[in-house]
Amino acid sequence: MEVDYLESIVTAIDEGETEQVAELTQKALDEGIPAKELMERGLVRGMEKVGEKFKEGVAYLPEILIAARAANRGLEVLKPAITKSGVKPKGKVVIGTIEGDLHDIGKNMVKFVLQGNGFEVIDLGVDVSAAQFHQAVVEEKPDMVAISALLTTTMVNIPSVLETLGKTGLRGGVKIMVGGASLTEEYAQEVGVDAYGEDCFQAVEIARRFMGVTS
Amino acid sequence: MTGRERFLKIARFELPNTFFLSTYNHAMWHKTLERWVEEGAPKEILSSTKARLGYFGFERIGMVHVEASFLTLGKTGGPPFIPPVRPRFELKVLEEDERTRVIIDEGGRKLRQYKDDPQRMPAWLDAPVKNRGDWDEYKKRLDPHHPERWLEPDWGAYAENLSQRDYPLGVDVGSFYGLLREWTGAERLMYLFYDDPELVCDMMAHMEYFSTEIIQRVLKDIQVDFAVFWEDIAWKGGPLISPKMFREFMMPHYKKVTELLHRKGVDIIFVDSDGDISELIPLWVESGVNGMYPLEVAAGMDAVKLRKQYGKQCILWGNIDKRALAKGKEAIKEELDRKTPFLLSQGGYFPGIDHFIPEDVSLENFQFYLDYLREHFAG
Repeated sequence: MEVDYLESIVTAIDEGETEQVAELTQKALDEGIPAKELMERGLVRGMEKVGEKFKEGVAYLPEILIAARAANRGLEVLKPAITKSGVKPKGKVVIGTIEGDLHDIGKNMVKFVLQGNGFEVIDLGVDVSAAQFHQAVVEEKPDMVAISALLTTTMVNIPSVLETLGKTGLRGGVKIMVGGASLTEEYAQEVGVDAYGEDCFQAVEIARRFMGVTS
Repeated sequence: MTGRERFLKIARFELPNTFFLSTYNHAMWHKTLERWVEEGAPKEILSSTKARLGYFGFERIGMVHVEASFLTLGKTGGPPFIPPVRPRFELKVLEEDERTRVIIDEGGRKLRQYKDDPQRMPAWLDAPVKNRGDWDEYKKRLDPHHPERWLEPDWGAYAENLSQRDYPLGVDVGSFYGLLREWTGAERLMYLFYDDPELVCDMMAHMEYFSTEIIQRVLKDIQVDFAVFWEDIAWKGGPLISPKMFREFMMPHYKKVTELLHRKGVDIIFVDSDGDISELIPLWVESGVNGMYPLEVAAGMDAVKLRKQYGKQCILWGNIDKRALAKGKEAIKEELDRKTPFLLSQGGYFPGIDHFIPEDVSLENFQFYLDYLREHFAG
């Protein structure tokens, strides 16, 4: 019986069936389906489906988490083949929660969903200073930086990230997006970041926009 | 009319155009109070609710002295918070650097906290309940009848004294999500709904038992005026779990608790949840909960809209934007002028700030907020 591996992977991600995604991904690779196709039309499409359900108000955070876990498991299986085939991540993201703030669940959701959508994510953790963000930009040369802030008293540290990058001429080479409970579109525009994301799926849309890709 | 009588009449929509202003929903972070002391407030406000009551002219409100919900270990009665475990875990410092330390707290959670501000939200590193075995052990510390949970050495005298009170008194009635998150961890709990739903059901069933045992024991001797669930089950984008999941997992337990409260004559039942709770409000109302706070403005909560939508089905408490207090007098006036006249005219509303007051709010601004409220809307 012919198996539509791609559609099955999409469904398994949507249902959060982690080991099934891993099995299907491996079998699909064994059957000769190219890694890039598995990535785009399997894993990423699976996460897109969950993202659509989130926007429709059908999927909530638990559904996103189990889907992202499943997609990331598929990614683990796919990684050697992707590296071998020369398929590159869609973009590289440095992510962290701003200095003074130890919240990480929002940041983690963004990380999982970005990874599930084919982005490489370097997670700096929480309480990340401007200097640490700067260091990461120097070392990792990301395409973008994603900053999370939950508190009104810590979001004020975001401008210093931009200043620090600006002082060494790095600001122009990296896009910056922000997100978190205390942040708004108005604040993002006021401080001069490139985008504000309301949730983890908006973060993916923003990341794609930054990279000039549609999927 | 006593404060207690006024509170009850306001909550029951029997007394419009007046308000009851208490320490409830006027909580401050310790750093905020430190700032205010530097700005001229007496230092006693740092450590005494009574001092804050007196200095700011709040009306008295109390909670029954039993550990039935999250506990506040902070100097100002705020965080750190722990679940109501007895016996408590021994506080252990595992490592520290210049700014932070990693501890096992009294609730058994591993976390990193700022040394200069332990009240600040910590980084959660690990939680004690990962599986059923862990839960079977942990729930031994959630015995509703553990003697250390009942804080009054002479319960009879305490109850007798309360019968003469002139202030409203509430009872904490636990939680079916918020506390579970405290011992499983935020992400793990969400996974557990799918990975081990029976464990989630077991934890909720135990919390129903926990709450109903406490309620029965308290209400045998004390007539309370209101009850409070604590959940924090929403974020800016909506509820943390779907309404479908809420209905399936949580609602049956809510109904058991609210039905018991109603039978015992308690008809004012609040739920405390930050975030955008709008999708859950109808479910809470269906479950017998009829009051919500703090109604976080940054999460899109709008008490005026809720009043128009729900009428007298919901008592509303809070919804004054803490960011307006930080901005200044014009912003405060605008915020109060926009909401307060309508909300007070309808009854069933208690003014309050939509979360802990942060340290970017000056004493002057907070005092202005109180003065403006009293001068213009006291009725």
